[in-house]
Amino acid sequence: MVANDLRQRIRDKSVVIFSLLVPLALMAVLNLSFGGFDSGSATLKPAVVIASSEDSGQLGDALLEAVESLPIMDVTVRKVAAGDVSRETKATGADLGIILPAEFTAAVTSGQALSVQVVEGDSAGLETDVLISVVDGLLEQFSAGTVTAEAGNIAGLPHDVLGGLAQQAAAGTPALTLSEGQASAGQLSLKGTLVAGQAGLFLLFTVGFGVLGLLAEREEGTLSRLQAAPVTPGTIISAKALVGFILGVVATTVLLTAGSVLFGVSFGSPAVVALLVLAVAAAATSLTFIVARLVRSAEQANIAQSIVAMLLGIAGGAFFPIEASGFLATLMDLNPIAAFIRGLGITAGGGGIADVATPLAIMLGFAAVSTLASRLLPDRGVRA
Amino acid sequence: MTADVQTHRAQVLGVKGLVKHYGAHTVVDDVSFHIGAGETYGLLGPNGAGKTTIISMVSGLIPADAGSIELAGSAMTPASTRVKGHIGLVPQELAIYPDLTAKENLLFFGRLQGLHGKELKHRTGDVLELIGLADRAGEQTKKFSGGMKRRLNIGIGLLHRPTLLILDEPTVGVDPQSRNSILESVEGLATEGMAVLYTTHYMEEAERLCDRIAIIDEGRIQAEGTRGELVELTGGVDRIDLHGSGNTGAAATALRRLPGVQHVDGDASGLTLTVHNGPGLLAPIVAEAGGAGMALSSVEIVRPDLESVFLHLTGKALRD
Repeated sequence: MVANDLRQRIRDKSVVIFSLLVPLALMAVLNLSFGGFDSGSATLKPAVVIASSEDSGQLGDALLEAVESLPIMDVTVRKVAAGDVSRETKATGADLGIILPAEFTAAVTSGQALSVQVVEGDSAGLETDVLISVVDGLLEQFSAGTVTAEAGNIAGLPHDVLGGLAQQAAAGTPALTLSEGQASAGQLSLKGTLVAGQAGLFLLFTVGFGVLGLLAEREEGTLSRLQAAPVTPGTIISAKALVGFILGVVATTVLLTAGSVLFGVSFGSPAVVALLVLAVAAAATSLTFIVARLVRSAEQANIAQSIVAMLLGIAGGAFFPIEASGFLATLMDLNPIAAFIRGLGITAGGGGIADVATPLAIMLGFAAVSTLASRLLPDRGVRA
Repeated sequence: MTADVQTHRAQVLGVKGLVKHYGAHTVVDDVSFHIGAGETYGLLGPNGAGKTTIISMVSGLIPADAGSIELAGSAMTPASTRVKGHIGLVPQELAIYPDLTAKENLLFFGRLQGLHGKELKHRTGDVLELIGLADRAGEQTKKFSGGMKRRLNIGIGLLHRPTLLILDEPTVGVDPQSRNSILESVEGLATEGMAVLYTTHYMEEAERLCDRIAIIDEGRIQAEGTRGELVELTGGVDRIDLHGSGNTGAAATALRRLPGVQHVDGDASGLTLTVHNGPGLLAPIVAEAGGAGMALSSVEIVRPDLESVFLHLTGKALRD
């Protein structure tokens, strides 16, 4: 029965088109859209900033010096009177104008509300956005120093200690830092995430060719012939599930391999990646048992499977990373697609079987729970 | 075929008091019959009479709400996996895979029925010959004509030499040539000792193929027997078909009042009458119909047949 189904799926080309060609095309398109950021090829042009610094203290000049000495782009700061900043910025085609108030340092050090006005140039582009972000970040650092000093003062710390803390906070170098690791971080490059995400997303569609194919067989009339044959319903369901699982494993393996070759992504140890693929295919296949129980027709099954695939795929980070907190974060951690991508991140960083134990457990647990849940649901669909 | 001969046949299928409800609607109501080895048994009735539901229960596709089914000496239910091996089911829909070749379809369903190796290969070849598709065995069935698909559909049911072959309206939508070919194939099965359960709403097929026939309507068997036994139920009445146009309604009303006319049924294109002594009543019937405003284009006297029986038993034409 399995061989028969696989032969048909290959002949009708539906699997090849939908499970291989479409995701590969999507990967290519997404890579073209987002790939530039990942490669670091975006170049920033030299920028000109028109600024007023009537600040009586030192922080105004410090901010402008920080802007001028940015390592990621060449910035020239021209100082003018506050009233001329807007006009000069527009007249000279500068990228940004900054108006620092006279009481800038006093306001920062006293923790008072402060407004720094920026003027975007007529030719504002990526450089202007970067400069605004930098100014915003510097202002936050200055505020952090003030807040730290204030907190230390309330706590009764000596003045020399307070000064050191404030300086440290303002400099943006916290005592504890997170360094981006490899094996433990579970982070894929953007290209790697796209390849893994699309493979995971389309796996959810591919496995639908298995169990959900029973609904199509019912509409085509062949299910009655299967049911009238001397085989148990369990055999029929198991054969269909195995078809979905095999197609899922093959399609995901091909997608990861093709993605690796075409987009220059490495996912690490093939053996560990294979374990992840087997586990995520099992999880995806188990979902089809539930869908098959709940729907009444092949059309309903396709719609339901598409909804489930898009929901789990997007939530799992198939298109872009999704962040959440609290219960929602826990729920999203249990998403097999998210676990799959996380597992591939670990293997890409050199992780072994022990390192991917958690993602594997999540995917296999998901498969077990879904299969069990499907047995408890009333059968509105296939009744094989 | 006489009733006496029937009683000496080994029983293959025994159905007793079969009942099936869908919601509040009773689609099969206390149906009982039996089929012996080498016998072709027909379920004759209009669409919606309950034929396919009976077949679904006999095949173990759906459970019966009441009653029992015994096949080859064992109880048949949807869980009777082993017993299902005695059945060859030919569903009304084309139950074949379009992306597989005719031979691959046969091989697949043959393996499902437990055939393997040389036996499977041998039977596949035999069946391809029988259904006239040996020269097209390697073609995908999606390229086949409707008649070829129908023949393959039947061939799959025959492949494992079932004790009971169930044919559910096997000639629906088939061209006359293929239909004749299918009927000839079915005629040959009884000689091989196979029991056949045949459902149809075509009276001619039931008369041609079936040793015994059950006339079924609204889920109940109205009468059962050989063709001769069933025709006797009409009391020797004839059927007269009047074709034409004009005021057929008024003609029907007038004809119902005519002595000797038992029943009048019809529509705008014609009327069907059941009468005693058709040839004798023909002249007054034509005169009465013409007088009521019906313009006759043709008149036909039909001696009692199964359609007459159905009309006699249910008060409506089989085509309804």
